Amino acid sequence: MSSLLKIDDMSVRFATPRGDLKAVNNVSIELLKGESLGVVGESGSGKTVLSRATMGLLPSTATRTGTITYQGQDITALPKDEVRELWGTGMAMIFQDPMTALNPVRRVGSQLTESLTVRLGMNKKDAKEKAIELLKRVRIPDPEAMLRKFPYQLSGGMRQRIMIAIAVSCEPELLFADEPTTALDVTVQAQVLDLITELRKESNMAMILVTHDLGVVAGHTDKIAVMYAGDVVEYAPTRELFSNMKMPYTEALLKSIPRLETPTGSRLPVIEGRLPDPTKNEPGCPFANRCPYVTDKCRAEKPPLTDGGNNHFYRCWFPLGGVK
Amino acid sequence: MADETQTMPETVTSAKKKKPVGFYIAGSWIVLILLAAVFGWALPAPQWDQSFYDSLGVSPFHHSHILGTTLDGYDMFAGLVNGARLSVFVSLSAVVVGGAIGSVIGISSAYFRGRIDILVTMAFNVMLSIPNLVLSLSLISVLAFSDENHPATTARRVGVLILSLTIVIIPILGRISRGATLQWSSREFVLASKSMGTSNFVIIRKHIIPNVAPAILAIGFLAIGSVIIVEGSLAVLGIGIPGGASWGSMLANGRGNIAYSPWEVYLPAGCIALTVISCNWFGDYVRTTLDKRESKI
Repeated sequence: MSSLLKIDDMSVRFATPRGDLKAVNNVSIELLKGESLGVVGESGSGKTVLSRATMGLLPSTATRTGTITYQGQDITALPKDEVRELWGTGMAMIFQDPMTALNPVRRVGSQLTESLTVRLGMNKKDAKEKAIELLKRVRIPDPEAMLRKFPYQLSGGMRQRIMIAIAVSCEPELLFADEPTTALDVTVQAQVLDLITELRKESNMAMILVTHDLGVVAGHTDKIAVMYAGDVVEYAPTRELFSNMKMPYTEALLKSIPRLETPTGSRLPVIEGRLPDPTKNEPGCPFANRCPYVTDKCRAEKPPLTDGGNNHFYRCWFPLGGVK
Repeated sequence: MADETQTMPETVTSAKKKKPVGFYIAGSWIVLILLAAVFGWALPAPQWDQSFYDSLGVSPFHHSHILGTTLDGYDMFAGLVNGARLSVFVSLSAVVVGGAIGSVIGISSAYFRGRIDILVTMAFNVMLSIPNLVLSLSLISVLAFSDENHPATTARRVGVLILSLTIVIIPILGRISRGATLQWSSREFVLASKSMGTSNFVIIRKHIIPNVAPAILAIGFLAIGSVIIVEGSLAVLGIGIPGGASWGSMLANGRGNIAYSPWEVYLPAGCIALTVISCNWFGDYVRTTLDKRESKI
């Protein structure tokens, strides 16, 4: 399979009154056609900024460096109008909160047909038919009635299905799913994820799934990038990552998922401490203060991204299981 | 899945709740004034600018002058109907033109931000810092100057009056639309639409304006009220529309006769007051209804 997206050495900085905020540091990622990548990390690790920066949807206070090659074309060099041409038809995004990502005063139908008429130049009748077909694809019963509803009349799961229908309406090659299930009920989460995966398989669509939940990415991605404080700290095929975990941070993330077997009344597992201040430039590994295996070397020097074989990369001096 | 497919119960019914009594009172008064303004010429009333020398200062409920006449013999009812025409024309055109200009400036400067937005905000603040009565006063005395030898025509006065009121309205509605746009354009659905490759123009037309319009409408109603007040104040100061052609002008002409024919003052003042109160009430009603809708989302 050929390469669809290649992010090379991308960094994102935000200008703030306290100085430059480093949101993403020198990230390099490659995605093949139809492949899915999970980007995992806690709040503030830069995963949302990574996906928005890749699309070019950053506010004006942000600066992006590095190159992004999409289908052989460097899109960081393109003028704004041509990047916009890619949005919707090339890359599309599902947003985290379906409550706020739909316009409250417009009916579902008009929001769903908006990109069909504006981007694909369909007439109203064709767009309506296509909208009904899209609603059927996202398993919404009675799609004709749905077109006339307002977002506030729908449940969260239904709204997220509408958002997915809008995102795939122009048949993008690459779908960004920015925590698509975080705002949803646990029972609906699995349905929505399965739906996204099915839609992907149907049209061989690549996906970047951003989430804080390692459990979510396990069954729905081909490879995973774990982010911490703006760095990719572990990058491996999904199966390899779970069977041969290298980073203490990934391990800590996995441990922090509550389990059914734990006795009632026991404390929820957490990662102690906080993310380092992203406006400061401190030496050493950014996870050092929270790592159970920390040594003096970790505090003094930041580890580089190391190739551990089997397409497995990690950023640690003392990886779990030892250095090969 | 079964649970998931069910949509929330229809909550639209609450919007069809009984409207408050004030809605009907204010609404009927506004409709009445609009009808009088548009179809007033067809009413079987005497000429408004014709003096009846045989019936000077008759009190209301007279057999041929239903609301009486002024001390100069002008029919009050005809004057009020004609005043409605002029007041509606002046206030509507000032608010519609000023509102349109202000909204376009406000929405685009808030949507695109940057240096232009800072300049626009500064300009609005400067405009708002000038008391509107003083602004209208100076504009009229400069642009529609008149003395005994060179009297300014009524049309010119009306034109300058509308111009000055428009200038007063622009920053008021401009700031409202700017604020509302700032609030709405940072919402995620705007970003979501943008991420689908929608152009800025389409986003403003389809996502910003439908959300901003209610706020502009609500303040627009309040603005109509205050424009009518300014028109009346200018007339009393002697630089409004002359000759008793508007409510304010009738009030100004009649205020010297309050001891002999108080209806000359009370009737136009009452019309002004009722119209302003109705407009304010309507504006409030529009706003609270929309606040309710917003809170339901």
